[in-house]
Amino acid sequence: MTLPTKKLSLTVNDKAIDSVDVPEAMMMQDFLHEYLDLTGSRMGCGQGICHACTVIVEKDDGVLDEVRTCITGAHWFEGKKVRTVEGHAKRDAAGVISELSPVQQAFIENFSFQCGYCTPGFVTGATVFIDQLKRKPVARVDLEKAITEALDKHICRCTGYVRYHQAVRDLVLTIPDLVKA
Amino acid sequence: MTLRRLLWGVAALAVLVAIIAGSIFIGLFEKSVVAKDIDQPLGADEMKTLAERGAYVAVAADCYACHTAKGGAAWAGGLPFETPFGTIYASNISPDKDNGIGNWTRADFHRALRDGIGKGGSHLYPAMPYASYREMTPQDVDAVYAYLMTREPMKVANRENELAFPFNIRQSLTFWNLVNLSGEKPANDPARSETWNRGRYLVNALAHCGECHTPRNVMQGMDQSKYLQGAVIEGINAPDITGDGLTRMGFDVPLLASFMKSGISAQGAMTNQMFEVVHFSTQYMTDDDLKALSAFLFDLDAVPDQSPPPRAPEPVSVAPELTASARATYTNLCSGCHGAEGQGIPHVVVPLATNASMRINDARNFVHTVLNGISAQRFPGLERMQPMPSFEDKLSDQQIADLANWARATWGGRQPDVKPDDVAKLRKGG
Repeated sequence: MTLPTKKLSLTVNDKAIDSVDVPEAMMMQDFLHEYLDLTGSRMGCGQGICHACTVIVEKDDGVLDEVRTCITGAHWFEGKKVRTVEGHAKRDAAGVISELSPVQQAFIENFSFQCGYCTPGFVTGATVFIDQLKRKPVARVDLEKAITEALDKHICRCTGYVRYHQAVRDLVLTIPDLVKA
Repeated sequence: MTLRRLLWGVAALAVLVAIIAGSIFIGLFEKSVVAKDIDQPLGADEMKTLAERGAYVAVAADCYACHTAKGGAAWAGGLPFETPFGTIYASNISPDKDNGIGNWTRADFHRALRDGIGKGGSHLYPAMPYASYREMTPQDVDAVYAYLMTREPMKVANRENELAFPFNIRQSLTFWNLVNLSGEKPANDPARSETWNRGRYLVNALAHCGECHTPRNVMQGMDQSKYLQGAVIEGINAPDITGDGLTRMGFDVPLLASFMKSGISAQGAMTNQMFEVVHFSTQYMTDDDLKALSAFLFDLDAVPDQSPPPRAPEPVSVAPELTASARATYTNLCSGCHGAEGQGIPHVVVPLATNASMRINDARNFVHTVLNGISAQRFPGLERMQPMPSFEDKLSDQQIADLANWARATWGGRQPDVKPDDVAKLRKGG
């Protein structure tokens, strides 16, 4: 059986992917896993609930959007700029990780995760949340609530969320201008 | 005719009109359907026996859903109703003596439910469906009264309505009542079965289906010539639930009865106000009552032993470029949950291939759902449907129009007549 395909071009982690034949009905998750060997976005529930599969889409105006790859077709990402969990840390010329992103570092320092299955989604979600705060800071008193609302959709079955929450709060408070007095 | 005589004639006419209007206003033309013997209070034993049955009648009449605010005290009112004339708040009907109906007599209660006139003679707004409850039997009204008196009194003050002049004058409802209130319960139709007659009573009186599913006239009364033929309420199409309308959606009597019990069917899951109707009311109705209700809507005397489910509508073919645009959107954003062929995921996501929103004559519900999404919902029997996200910021008016046209033509046999402008209007809340 041959699946009908369509050409797909997009940018993933700053790398241009040019005109690849991809089945029309393939979900983005499968494209990332099977075509690009980027397996960090996790297949959890496969129905858009757990958010372990999310990636960042950087819009033309620079705003970051979080998108679930298990229920979104690969071709929806045509022409878009995508960042997967593999694209957050800095790498040296040889492609070896030289520095984690602030969110990743904060999760490590706070022992935020145990099995780590949900972590790519939390890294994505927290990065998008901090990007939102850069554009629209929250009052200090509302910060905890804002973190809960932003990350509530991410499901974690090991650590009970407390250390993820704590890590994001600590990080937000160290970055200038994210909270108002 | 001299000018003087003409002027006298006009003046006399004006006086006559003023006298008639005044008479209507003070309620001279209002006709109570509450019998005189209702003035006699009920005995304690009677109240006790009635209360038990009243619990069921109150469920079938769905009193709780409106008389309890979200997260508020039971039966204490407060739920807002947005009307074209302002906001009306449901009242406290717990038996609290200061805020509720604790001081109401049996007759006060009957007059409120069936005449639309509360204790002390003040008129109720027809957001309270007394135009439907008017057809309730005195026995059922007694039962609800007895039941409510057994509830816990709630010390919760009633909220003031926020209505513009002249709608804030309750007495002006005498005009509304004159035009929109019919007689009392029609006598049982001996030519029809007991099931049909019971169904008529449930649909018209207790469950007050017509209040949402019937278009409203200029005065916001039910347009009786289009009874149950569908209306737009709070931005949603409450579909045509006549036999023809239900058949178009793919229902037959047993399927409809089961939908009212479970809230889930091949036609989709109950959403918006109908979700609450199932949640608070119909799931608790007896199977016999649900069958009667359904049989009446299909105008049948009995539930057919076996009926082939209604045939799926013939697809309407659409332009290839429309299919290409819509199919791409569908595959990329919808198929992950609703399935490549619109089959859905059992217990998780509703199918679209058999969905009522594809088949009803108005695309409004389809577009509304794509724009606004649906919250996660729990249904009877541990069923739950996952939330549907809003696609407001992911799809353009053109893309949504294409999607609606293609899906409804393919699965609902509906002409592709949705324009991007229609979507733009709904996006703005129209």
